Amino acid sequence: MNEPALTAYRCKTCGHIHYPFHDRCLECKGRAFEEIHPQGNARLLTYTAIFNLPYGFDQQSLLLGIAEFENHIKALGQIKAQSVNQLKVGMTVRAVWEPIRTRPEGVVFGLKFEPLET
Amino acid sequence: MRDVAIIGAGMIPFGRRYEDSLLDMLAGASLKALDDAGFGSQSVDALYVANVGAGMLQHQTAIASSLADRLSLLPAAAETIENGPASGSSAVKAGLLGIASGYYETVLVVGGEKMRAGDGAHTTDFASTMTHPQAEYPYGVTMPGLAGMFARLYMDKYNLTAEHLHAVSIKNHEMGALNPYAHFRKPINREEIFDGPQAALRNPIVADPLRLYDLCPTSDGAAALVLSSVDIARRLGRPYVVIAGFGQATDTQTLAERADPTELKAVTLAARQAFAQANLRPSDIHVAELHDAFTILEIAESECVGFFPKGAGGEAALKGQTRLGGSIPINVSGGLKARGHPMGATGVAQIVEIVWQLRHELPENRQVPNAQTGLTLNFGGFANNVLCFILKRAEP
Repeated sequence: MNEPALTAYRCKTCGHIHYPFHDRCLECKGRAFEEIHPQGNARLLTYTAIFNLPYGFDQQSLLLGIAEFENHIKALGQIKAQSVNQLKVGMTVRAVWEPIRTRPEGVVFGLKFEPLET
Repeated sequence: MRDVAIIGAGMIPFGRRYEDSLLDMLAGASLKALDDAGFGSQSVDALYVANVGAGMLQHQTAIASSLADRLSLLPAAAETIENGPASGSSAVKAGLLGIASGYYETVLVVGGEKMRAGDGAHTTDFASTMTHPQAEYPYGVTMPGLAGMFARLYMDKYNLTAEHLHAVSIKNHEMGALNPYAHFRKPINREEIFDGPQAALRNPIVADPLRLYDLCPTSDGAAALVLSSVDIARRLGRPYVVIAGFGQATDTQTLAERADPTELKAVTLAARQAFAQANLRPSDIHVAELHDAFTILEIAESECVGFFPKGAGGEAALKGQTRLGGSIPINVSGGLKARGHPMGATGVAQIVEIVWQLRHELPENRQVPNAQTGLTLNFGGFANNVLCFILKRAEP
């Protein structure tokens, strides 16, 4: 399984976790960060299925959600499920790093969440 | 700093305007506002043009220079203002600061967008470019997608149902049907979109749990205002409108980074600033235009600005408190939902509507009786850049 190649940033002054990158800490304005990576599974915080997709996606619908990893990194990702009926807020998901779209310059990889419960 | 007046307001009907170029629309709205101000053959000191997509959708840049030339406003100062869907309010803010500081006496503000030029997928992609370029955009998330994720949490937290959302949609379509400038001029009823046999077909899921009638349309259109010093406004010899309060606040670009994604902090802060400056309370406002790009937002914003307690906005909408004749009429224009949402035009159009309300110029079926105060809230990104204006009627 491909581990998520996502880098988040923990403020060295106050410990606040940032994803994506900020030049100054959202809490204390500190500029020194430790790079951290998602650990363990994640908890699905919210989700949607969209049916009007932007240019660049050749499919009928797309499942998207925000999940929080065990080390408190929160991130948006695509969801590997058939429909929202398989999802619920708070469920455990496993994160993988897979192709999320194809652009003229090549395949783009990113986070995908896979439900671990039914 | 001195008081700033709005002495001219005008717009062109929103909708599908395939025959008009972006400049045609901006010029059309501008001339209406200039004529309304009695500036038919006069220039202004400065021009601010709100637009988001001309560079991407029309392959045209520096449109303020084009418009100044086309309207023969030369040698007026001219800038284009881009702040996503809040661009219109940002352009009004630029005019406000220019006059309040004493630098300018008269400013023309116009917002416009030509969004129906391409296919739907490209327009959706255009709107999605305001999401975070690494953490959101590559995944295919859209503005309705972010609204869907927000709605799921908000509805769960405050026990809202689709019925609450549809109450907003039905109200705004009903008002849009009465507004000759609205994109959608057809009322809808509960059976058509909620509990009738065809409701699921007519009103499909677009961004779960949001359905088609929870979303604003993609519109073309333009709206314009003339701002001036109060000295000039008084000389017109008719009621005018003053900008009594203004507020603006930003929030994290991504929804994921908010400690509580159901909190629209920038909305709350922008409104709080505007009320403090105006020395008014939410209960003092007679009419409001809120940014209902999605029905859930009208409900959430009506609570954040202070019209209703947290969690009470849905029931208020369902009980008719936000209708014309209710305790606080919201989006009497039809709102983004029915008037339409040409991005750069929206913030200006909200203020045009309030100016008409405060000058008591609307037909009886659209007029809030004796309205003296109004509020507008214009929302950029997914609530990451929000502007709020409080307007008051003034006698000459």
